[in-house]
Amino acid sequence: MAASIVPTYRRPPAIYRVARALRWTGIIVLVLLIIYAGSVAYSAYEVAHASIQSRSLSAVSVQNGVIQISGSFTLSNPGIYPIAGLALSASVANDSGVHLGAVSVGPETIAGHSSALFPIVISLPIAGSDAAESLLFEDQYIEVAAWANVTYAYLFPLAVTLLETRSWGAPFEGFQATVGRPVLNNNGTVSVPVTVSFSNHASFLEDGALTFTVESAGQATCGGGSFPIDVPPGDSYDQTQDATLSTGCSPVGGELLSSFTIDGSTTSLPPEPIP
Amino acid sequence: MSAPTPSLPVTPETLGYRIPSLPYRIVIAVLRAFLSFVFFVAIPVAALAYVHSRGLAIPVPIAAVTTWGVVLLVLSAARYILKPTAAYGPLSIALDGVFFGYLYYLLLLSPYRFVVPGGSVSLAAGYSLFIEILMIVPAVGILAGILTTIEDVSHPKERLPFDYPA
Repeated sequence: MAASIVPTYRRPPAIYRVARALRWTGIIVLVLLIIYAGSVAYSAYEVAHASIQSRSLSAVSVQNGVIQISGSFTLSNPGIYPIAGLALSASVANDSGVHLGAVSVGPETIAGHSSALFPIVISLPIAGSDAAESLLFEDQYIEVAAWANVTYAYLFPLAVTLLETRSWGAPFEGFQATVGRPVLNNNGTVSVPVTVSFSNHASFLEDGALTFTVESAGQATCGGGSFPIDVPPGDSYDQTQDATLSTGCSPVGGELLSSFTIDGSTTSLPPEPIP
Repeated sequence: MSAPTPSLPVTPETLGYRIPSLPYRIVIAVLRAFLSFVFFVAIPVAALAYVHSRGLAIPVPIAAVTTWGVVLLVLSAARYILKPTAAYGPLSIALDGVFFGYLYYLLLLSPYRFVVPGGSVSLAAGYSLFIEILMIVPAVGILAGILTTIEDVSHPKERLPFDYPA
């Protein structure tokens, strides 16, 4: 009688099955994470090449004693993963490091295959800050620092820091307001010639009026006048106008106060002493 | 009265498994190591070298990637060759332990900070959470290695019919 081996199915022991299940779990998790990482890398590459399609911070205006730098940037997210928690902060300082103003945007979320437009307005109050006031009269360099935090593809936090030095063109570069010698008019009144000169190095048209007041040493108002202003970017302005003074009011030792009005908003200029 | 049943010689085949020869296992291990080298060492090193050539700081030294990668490949090849032996479990623990250590090393290097050429933009990219999730893989592997070691100690060769069915 021949011996025979009867094939029988034997179930693997429990410990073997558990070990095998763990190994398969590890392999599946590894493969999924590799696929995920690859898709994130590809998606991030697309974002890096498409993002911040337009960035503009060039619009400058002066309104009610505040210099406003406005602009916007568009952030495109052509990838499949969301850009979440986008928070952006920016600050502006002059070249001496004196803080002038700040802005913050967000937090916002940009879904995959979409884009978002972020308006930015940085307000720099002129009053009470010599550094900010100097932006009106002196060309200089300003330092723009921006920080952005985002979380990309759920797992990857990203912090971006931008430090940029930009040249600043002053809207009243070299501003001078001078008072000449008093002149006795035929009608018995006294007038003084007031000369205003400056160059518009800003990017916007200065279209408005510059009013001035002549004050005596005792801060009494002696007289005043107004210059119409229509100075395109890059042009200079140099005009003289006679201001009739009130009887008995001497401007010697006093001050010339001036302010300009553009689009209904008025910004005071620093006083000029009258010798 | 029945005739006595002839006894069979005790061979792996009669026990239900057939272990590939040592040269065969070595050849397969070398081929696997070569493929793994391409994916886990050559491509990452090439990517890092490309990033470095663009003037960017690299997140991890190329020498570290090469060293950790080669150690992992050697352990992986040894584990494959010695799979029929009792060294398989301890080698699995060692392999996944080294993998865990590699990931922990990468975790310490997060976030990846670099400055875009030109100097005005710098970035810090964190990847800690991803690495922590990835650490599940070697942690599970270590557990599996411990179980295999226990099985090999308590029931030697018990798993061979299932690892190498005849």
